Amino acid sequence: MPDTQALVNDFLNKLKKRKIEGSQATARQTAELLRSVISQQRVPYTNQAGALIDAVKAIGEQLIAANPVELAVGNIVRRVLHIIREEDLSLTTAAIGGLNLSAVSDDENDDDRDGDSTLSAAAVAAAARSTLRPPSLQTLLEDTPVSAAVPQTSSSGGDSEGKTADKSSRSRKLKHDVIEAVNELIQDIVTCHEQIAEQAVEHIHQNEVILTLGSSRTVLEFLFAAKEKKRSFRVFVAEGAPRYQGHLLAKELVARGLQTTLITDSAVFAMISRVNMVIVGAHAVMANGGVIAPVGMNLVALAAQKHAVPFVVLAGSHKLCPLYPHNPEVLLNELRSPSELLDFGEFSDCMDFGSGSGSPLLHVVNPAFDYVPPKLVSLFITDAGGHNPSYMYRLIADYYSADDLVVQRRATAGN
Amino acid sequence: MWHRSASFILDKNQNDTVYPADSVTLTPPPPSSISTPQNPNPNLNRNMSMSAYYQTRAAHHGVVTSDWLAQSQEAATRAVATGGQEIVDGGKSGRAFSVIDEFNNWRKQPDLAEAVAAIRALAAVIRNSEAKTMMELEIELKKASDSLKSWDTTSISLTAGCDLFMRYVTRTSALEYEDFNSARSRLIERAEKFGEISYKARKIIAMLSQDFIFDGCTILVHGFSRVVMEVLKMAAQNKKLFRVLCTEGRPDRSGLRLANELAKLDVPVKLLIDSAVAYTMDEVDMVFVGADGVVESGGIINMMGTYQIALVAHSMNKPVYVAAESYKFARLYPLDQKDMGPALRPIDFGVPIPSKVEVETSARDYTPPQYLTLLFTDLGVLTPSVVSDELIQLYL
Repeated sequence: MPDTQALVNDFLNKLKKRKIEGSQATARQTAELLRSVISQQRVPYTNQAGALIDAVKAIGEQLIAANPVELAVGNIVRRVLHIIREEDLSLTTAAIGGLNLSAVSDDENDDDRDGDSTLSAAAVAAAARSTLRPPSLQTLLEDTPVSAAVPQTSSSGGDSEGKTADKSSRSRKLKHDVIEAVNELIQDIVTCHEQIAEQAVEHIHQNEVILTLGSSRTVLEFLFAAKEKKRSFRVFVAEGAPRYQGHLLAKELVARGLQTTLITDSAVFAMISRVNMVIVGAHAVMANGGVIAPVGMNLVALAAQKHAVPFVVLAGSHKLCPLYPHNPEVLLNELRSPSELLDFGEFSDCMDFGSGSGSPLLHVVNPAFDYVPPKLVSLFITDAGGHNPSYMYRLIADYYSADDLVVQRRATAGN
Repeated sequence: MWHRSASFILDKNQNDTVYPADSVTLTPPPPSSISTPQNPNPNLNRNMSMSAYYQTRAAHHGVVTSDWLAQSQEAATRAVATGGQEIVDGGKSGRAFSVIDEFNNWRKQPDLAEAVAAIRALAAVIRNSEAKTMMELEIELKKASDSLKSWDTTSISLTAGCDLFMRYVTRTSALEYEDFNSARSRLIERAEKFGEISYKARKIIAMLSQDFIFDGCTILVHGFSRVVMEVLKMAAQNKKLFRVLCTEGRPDRSGLRLANELAKLDVPVKLLIDSAVAYTMDEVDMVFVGADGVVESGGIINMMGTYQIALVAHSMNKPVYVAAESYKFARLYPLDQKDMGPALRPIDFGVPIPSKVEVETSARDYTPPQYLTLLFTDLGVLTPSVVSDELIQLYL
């Protein structure tokens, strides 16, 4: 599809050059891109879901490789894959259900056929129950269903019943259902701030002091919502060096009439004893409940733990990543330009590659993210409600399929 | 006997009066055969309710000492006696089949997991049963499962395996099948397949753990777990560069066997005595242990010494990873170390111990979930809090 290829290339370019700011914008654009890919994708009659999944995986692989630090891209790709599998399964079970009824009515005297279709319907029902759920103790002893076999039985049954017209309408229906579901996903992404902000009133009470670091739109909306409901509270904003986005946040809070105090990151430990609650945003939430957040967040989390202040993280569901941080200190961090820290003009002689051995004595490292381990987080507030860090696996199991954790087109053995 | 009171003097008096009654069921051999130079401690024999589970594990590990031989003989005679009792009491009169013998046969294979042996034994019960309805079959299975559980109360995976199979039988029999024979053959087939599931489970766990082992890492391992062995084997096959610190694992000395196996795979191994764990903990990147059982709180029950290692690792911020198959999840909730039934192993100190000196012979300890980082199971990589969720789904 030349059309979609141009769109994909354009998006890949933007990702590589880091032109899209923020996980929400990235997530939304990824979802929209995948939606157009799906709608333009031609699907064969049999195993349509497989074709769609392959197409999405092919594009998804490229997208993830373009910006591996922006985890929202991978999250949305996996969400879409999960949607395709779910819709396919619900369509197939509906078809089997219809098939069973017709088999019973048409072949009453043929007992074997009847028994077979009853058994296969029951087997499909069992497969439906267990395929999309992650493996659990309950299904340990049952047969592992082969998902490819399920549409085949339906298609062969359909042939014998002569329902070709029904099948073509089913193929259209799958794409249609998937696109509807992706639209819902986009809607969820766009409205995640409102849904999180609705819960603000339960958590912010009268005369509280709230600490935050840097600037997060989710936190901003959260605090505004509490202000709307006539809660009076004060906010300490840590400026979030070296980007100093805390300054912008402070300005916006003051514009809305909130009493704000601006502090440096280093002053967090000094001021934390006066704070009732810490509310921050996140870049991504990992499967173990750990948080990838703007640099300096680990400092705030440790200070909050030391003084027993609740550390609340706000995150939209597009930030939930099904991966575990194997080596969190090393992975998933981006090094930004050192010019944010130092002025090149003043320090040009220290950083000169031309002098002496060719390697400068002064190195400047500017990591963009921090990893906050799950034991420091008190509560996650997502658009699906407030949860414990150890509960994150549950949400992840709901939103993602186990097969999609590794997004690769080649069939990897046993994954 | 359980020692709960702080006053050990009071307990000592109690113990002296209680033991004569206990010794009847134990039927110890006459004292003359025990008073060998290696084992002059009469207390050791009188209150030794041998944990058959740990005995079998020792048999697998093959580190045999002479007093262990004596103990095992005693335990074998006891087992046959109680096995015979079970046959008579369990109402299986007229059949030479004993589920306990069947279980023991399966259990002797060193590569087979406990739960698999249990389920195979129960499958044999189904095969030999003359029941004509599902209810009858279920009742027979329940009796067999109860007798297995009571024969060795210390083995958690045995209990968990039996419970899992019973739940599966109860759940599926109510559902799809109207024909008894097809249902029965299906149950037998699934039970036999469970051995494959268990073997596949180890492979899945090994694959999941591969990402966590990075090049140049140092792994501390305690005890000989077949699952952890599989993990390390696969990492070695994937040409990862890592080294293993291996605790000796007294009194089984299973660490020696593990070191042997790893040396065969050309993995750099260093043996430590159990007390050297804290000394070497700062050069360790992660701790890998298996589990005899995973309890509802998300904690694990494993060979003695695991709790100690987890505490040290936690205080030095090192991750503790547990590799356990999902059928080891058990419905237990120990609140402290002594909350479980005692599982005792004789310890050979190599020198004669005066009879006044007691020996702590428990073979296992309980590690609470806050000291564990992640559980690698065939259900995926889980945090300890997922365990209770899974158990609730299965049992309630």
